[in-house]
Amino acid sequence: MTLLEVNDLHVTYAGDPDVEAVRGVSFTLEEGETLGIVGESGCGKTTLAQAIMGALPDNGRITGGEIIFDGQDITHLSNRERREIRWERMSMISQSAMNSLDPVYRVKDQIKEAIQEHRDVSDAKSYERARELMELVGLDPDRVEDYPHQLSGGMRQRVIIAMSLALDPDLIIADEPTTALDVIIQEQILYRIKELQRELGNSMVMVTHDISVVAETCDSMVVMYGGELMESGNVDEIFNNAHHPYTLGLQNAFPSVEGEKRDLTSIPGSPPDLSEPLEGCPFASRCPFAAPECEETVPVQEPVDGHRVRCHEPVPFEQIRDRSGEDETWLSQNKV
Amino acid sequence: MGLKEFVTRRIIQIVVLYFAIATMLFFLFRAAPGDPLAAYIGTGFTEEQAAQIRATFGLDQPLHVQYWKYMTSLVTFNFGLSYITGDPVWGIIQDRIWNTLVLMGTSVVLAYLIGVPFGAYLAWNRGTKRERFGVVFALISRSAPVFWTGLLGIWIFSFKLGWLPAGSMSQPGVTYSSKLAQFTSPSFLRHLILPALVQAFYFYSLPALLMRNSMLEVMNEDFVDFAELKGISDFAVMLKHAARNALLPIVTAFAVAAGFAVGGSVVLETVFAWPGLGREMVRAVIANDYPVAQATFLILAGLVLIANFLADLAYGYLDPRITYD
Repeated sequence: MTLLEVNDLHVTYAGDPDVEAVRGVSFTLEEGETLGIVGESGCGKTTLAQAIMGALPDNGRITGGEIIFDGQDITHLSNRERREIRWERMSMISQSAMNSLDPVYRVKDQIKEAIQEHRDVSDAKSYERARELMELVGLDPDRVEDYPHQLSGGMRQRVIIAMSLALDPDLIIADEPTTALDVIIQEQILYRIKELQRELGNSMVMVTHDISVVAETCDSMVVMYGGELMESGNVDEIFNNAHHPYTLGLQNAFPSVEGEKRDLTSIPGSPPDLSEPLEGCPFASRCPFAAPECEETVPVQEPVDGHRVRCHEPVPFEQIRDRSGEDETWLSQNKV
Repeated sequence: MGLKEFVTRRIIQIVVLYFAIATMLFFLFRAAPGDPLAAYIGTGFTEEQAAQIRATFGLDQPLHVQYWKYMTSLVTFNFGLSYITGDPVWGIIQDRIWNTLVLMGTSVVLAYLIGVPFGAYLAWNRGTKRERFGVVFALISRSAPVFWTGLLGIWIFSFKLGWLPAGSMSQPGVTYSSKLAQFTSPSFLRHLILPALVQAFYFYSLPALLMRNSMLEVMNEDFVDFAELKGISDFAVMLKHAARNALLPIVTAFAVAAGFAVGGSVVLETVFAWPGLGREMVRAVIANDYPVAQATFLILAGLVLIANFLADLAYGYLDPRITYD
């Protein structure tokens, strides 16, 4: 069954000028599955996650499309109605989990707060639950008595994960859950998140800039660029058979643990300025294969080989795949 | 956890500081011009009589003896006799300590009760007209001197409206069985309202403006966003998380406020003819009444030290990150 469905979602930040950070993104998430949202910094991933969570910054607004959660259209719910769903039915492991705990309260009180805000549970019961959750994320339950500053970064991250599981929500959104941690802890935390999700059966949206994280943890994935969706579908399918030059570029930019040893190649240039309306494909200016039509008309999402790609296919996909593996393809381009 | 050790160390510091202040006061007064007994010793006194009076007050003795006597008085509370009235100083002051504490305590508590929520409110309404108006209002009350607002208050509420008494602490001629009976009497409370409000009107702006800044800073913290994410209502987030954390620097400011309160009591009590330490101090200094002046200064210094100590303790209690090493 489909748990989350996002249709042609647009999010705009009011300002001078306005910034349209998400520009028509669509995907679906099945119950019990994990969806990865991947892309560079500034491509609208976090905005998308916040829009789903109903936690956009004050100047952010959904300006088009819809979000359907468990059969209910939650796009335009009031703050109050959103608050009831939040944490009870969908929770979030935020990007800045390191600083997400209030320094003046003990861990147990912060976990209890999340539980008791939504449910009529006694102090003793929610305390028990807090200890149980600590154990679940691999922490000593006695540490619930600690203040946040007495915990290491990795421990705090685990506490946040514990908190996100407190009410056993249907959906957990993890927004770059490990960026602030060192690599070894990252690995442990990711592993634990994945394991818990399998055990408990929640659905998950994993937002990350690291495509290898998606490979390890997700069932399906969405590749975003410039607020738009570039390629989406099953993870295995995309990894073995990516079509979009951007997806291929991302794959080159991250090391793979299992694959053969190779040099990493980054994609030259930086993401487009989202305060301007885009003509054509947002990636065109950095794409080594771009043809004139790429800069003129916006490509539409089309099903290709079992997943969806948004590309004009200036060169046949097979060629794109072959040539994107070579460094010269990316380095030789003269465009900015 | 070294709480005990911390308290002991602070107390020792306070005692040393206190004796240093006392020593400074002693020499400052001796360095002041004028004969302290000029008012006491009339023109009709013979040289012998004058010498005898000097002896009664111990002023004929060498400075170091006077100093020793004075320092021991800090412990025994035997501050000697007033040069003007000849009454024991401690008797005069004892009564006034309470008068000042009640007045200043009321106005500081009032100022914090109004100022802290007001500052939080301003932060919460960031960028609105209400906020700008509130900040300007706080700045105006911060800039208005107490002797002026005091007179304004007396003019409006006593002379024009006739609601409240213009000054002093109780109706003349009425006596009370104890200080407590006096402080709880309706007449005293009527007398307390105006001076306490006038002083609070000046004091509240410090915690209000500090709280506003501190709140604005804390509201940008990730844990506030996270509390919102958890589905906690806006009001609870503001109160439990933002305001609670924003309060920390305000506590430090409390020690400063206590110092101001003590200093302010001089002006306020003079304007409202409040029989407190501040007014007694002014009287004693003008009259060259050394023992009373010294004692009032000492008591006021002691009050400031104690307020600082309490603020330190409160800070440690409110912020778990503070350790006492």
